[in-house]
Amino acid sequence: MPEQAPTTMSNIDAGRVTSRAGRRLKAPEWGALLLFLLAEIVFFSFNSPYFLTWPNGVNIVTALSITGILAAGGTILLIAGQFDLSVGSGTAFVALSFALAAQSLGIIPAVGVALLVGVGIGVLNGFLVTVVGVNALITTLGTLAIFRGLTLSIGGASSVRVTGFDWAIARPFFDIPMSAIVFLLIALVVAVVLSRTIFGRTIYAIGANENAARLVGIRTKRTLFFAFVISGLCMAATGLVSASQLGSTSGTTGVGLELAVVTAIILGGTSLKGGTGSMFGTILGLLIVGVLNNGMTLMNINSTWQQVAAGMLLILAVSFDQIRQRFIRS
Amino acid sequence: MTEQSFLSVRGIRKSFGPVKVLHGVDLDLPRGSVTALLGENGAGKSTFVRILAGDHQPDAGTIAIEGVETSFRTVVQSRDAGIRLIAQEIADAPTLSVAENIALGALPSRFGFVDRHAMREVARKALDALGADIAVDAPVSSLRLGERQIIEIARATAGASQCLIFDEPTAALSDAETRRLFTLIKRMQEAGVAILYITHRLDEVFAIADRVCVLRDGKVSLNAAIAEVDQAQVVTAMVGHAVASDHDRYEFVSKGADPLLEVAQLGSEHFEDVDLTVEPGEIVGLYGKIGSGVPEFAAALFGAGQFDSGTLRLGGEAVKFGHPAEAVAKGIGYLPADRASEGLLRTRTVAENLAAPSWTRLANGPFVAPGIEANTFKKWHSVLQVRSRPDGSEQISTLSGGNQQKVLLGRWLEAGSKLLVLVEPTRGVDVGARQEIYAVLRDLAQQGHGILIASSDYEDITEAATSAAVMVRGRVVAHLTQDQISTERLTQAAGGGAHA
Repeated sequence: MPEQAPTTMSNIDAGRVTSRAGRRLKAPEWGALLLFLLAEIVFFSFNSPYFLTWPNGVNIVTALSITGILAAGGTILLIAGQFDLSVGSGTAFVALSFALAAQSLGIIPAVGVALLVGVGIGVLNGFLVTVVGVNALITTLGTLAIFRGLTLSIGGASSVRVTGFDWAIARPFFDIPMSAIVFLLIALVVAVVLSRTIFGRTIYAIGANENAARLVGIRTKRTLFFAFVISGLCMAATGLVSASQLGSTSGTTGVGLELAVVTAIILGGTSLKGGTGSMFGTILGLLIVGVLNNGMTLMNINSTWQQVAAGMLLILAVSFDQIRQRFIRS
Repeated sequence: MTEQSFLSVRGIRKSFGPVKVLHGVDLDLPRGSVTALLGENGAGKSTFVRILAGDHQPDAGTIAIEGVETSFRTVVQSRDAGIRLIAQEIADAPTLSVAENIALGALPSRFGFVDRHAMREVARKALDALGADIAVDAPVSSLRLGERQIIEIARATAGASQCLIFDEPTAALSDAETRRLFTLIKRMQEAGVAILYITHRLDEVFAIADRVCVLRDGKVSLNAAIAEVDQAQVVTAMVGHAVASDHDRYEFVSKGADPLLEVAQLGSEHFEDVDLTVEPGEIVGLYGKIGSGVPEFAAALFGAGQFDSGTLRLGGEAVKFGHPAEAVAKGIGYLPADRASEGLLRTRTVAENLAAPSWTRLANGPFVAPGIEANTFKKWHSVLQVRSRPDGSEQISTLSGGNQQKVLLGRWLEAGSKLLVLVEPTRGVDVGARQEIYAVLRDLAQQGHGILIASSDYEDITEAATSAAVMVRGRVVAHLTQDQISTERLTQAAGGGAHA
């Protein structure tokens, strides 16, 4: 048996910081997104005289408000490494529940019903994912189908009218409608929650490594459950905004919203694997898609092409990011 | 060297972007000889063997097989030349069978269809050569880590290889498996195979190698026949300066204080009847190889695992934790065995990683003030000698293994944990940082922390522990006082000195 291995030493030079420079987080991703958004704005400004006006700016944000509210809750979930695909059909189900309750109970109790239904959907998703242990993608794909089906079978083929509930189209300040104000407030709250609170820190920690988060004493399942409930609350908000904006609701309300939401979040730099991302990034992602849609409308390009453009944009952005990361690594 | 080597490399250089990893490496691998390759983390060992395996292309230098210059642009070209690399990371297909995994890349076929009979035969032979009793039809996912490592070795040794490169093959192996691997290596050596053996363990070098080559900062700092060198020379070649062998020994004398941790007859499916106490100021080493139940026992103390019987007392109070959060609240800190999968919040900053268990205390109500984590980290940056920015603002994945480990240790110091349960505290940590970690542990004990080191690396115990227990198959088989702790006694108690 050879002698014992080495022991104490002074002036140790081992264990240096690895050669790859320790990059600060976040900043570079935002830079590229901001540049792209500016490029869009410059391009459309040259192509439409109406584009760069205050009313059009308000239009862009207003058109984003429903997707944006859902993306706020979705950003929390995706940073934690989770998904919620049920947001579109959840919105429709909340709006229908509200409309039916408003007819029989009146507006104020119906708002309570809407909140309960939204939270209920979140609780159901959260329970299935964190307690039963079903994968979030499968859980919310299931609840997406369930609540779309329920909305169609309870509400029927025709739309249900909502009267005396038009707050969302009121424009109290600077000609900005309430729907956009609600979106901006929720985005602000989520931004603060993510960057400045313990809850936000635990969300990032869980997304970075759920196992490690548990082993530093974080109640990971409780936190994830709560994140799904927040997503449910966002559905309650969008259900109410949608019912108020349209004055009615139908079986096709909110179809495809889940894809728009996920597109904006990923475009905004949140990784599918979790652990990174920010509300600010999501807002940039929303604006990039929103400006594109608005600009194309102003240029009289058929709205069906907007979907093609948004899809291509998403793939381009993620490809760009992959290539950039490979470049950094080698 | 008068006799022509099987493999001969000259002046290998390799850079990744601006980072120079290898600056001119020369090495000969003669037939029928085992060359040990040593070096600290980051010395360039992995890059070097990946070049030999055709996984990386050198920027300059030559590779010659039996005197004929050649180049490997792909892994397949290197393999066709008879070179096989047994990588450190297990790269198997978990859902396929053992036989399919062993034959992977060289499936025997008849008329274009896989010849399953021949495939099982090949696998059977390769496993027999390793003395491994593993069913060839079992899915690989049902095997334990050590057995999966053996499958990797069997895959490489199944073919007619001329040159085998082992990258730290024994990390996941039991003593008996290690012994059988060494027997196989000896047999391969006698059959004329050229072998390159990468390891961190000096005892393995002296047990099986007949040549030793040390890499430091991308250059060969020692290349000699094993008979011409001793351990001290090898270590000096690795770290670049002489290493004093008489460290300040930390003696623990019980002051009769109430123990921090008292475990009586603790049992679960992985361990039984374990008795153990840890007093303030004491460093208890719990030594056991894979399968001993040591890591499972440590996890059970922290609420990260289960125990079914016996009692666990913390400061005299009987406890049973259902979630690690409860253990953290009671002042236990836990360093998990696998840093990557259980310890690091990889995408987060160094400072955030350190502050994670202390967020509730550092926060003002629900709000974490900007900069508070950076300020917290500054306190520990110099105490733990972490090589990072003073404010810890970089991503933790950019630090070396040893520095990451210091940050994870710092977590529990900031959290004010009195009892530290450290599982494999120096795994994947190089020689220099290892000593720094041991020094920190001695300091902590002096300040009154109680420390339990649960490890399969005897150096952790011989270097740091003030008393030790050895576990075999879930039972404590020996208690050792500080004066009794030695490599020999630990390995003997754990089932015979495999490498002696």
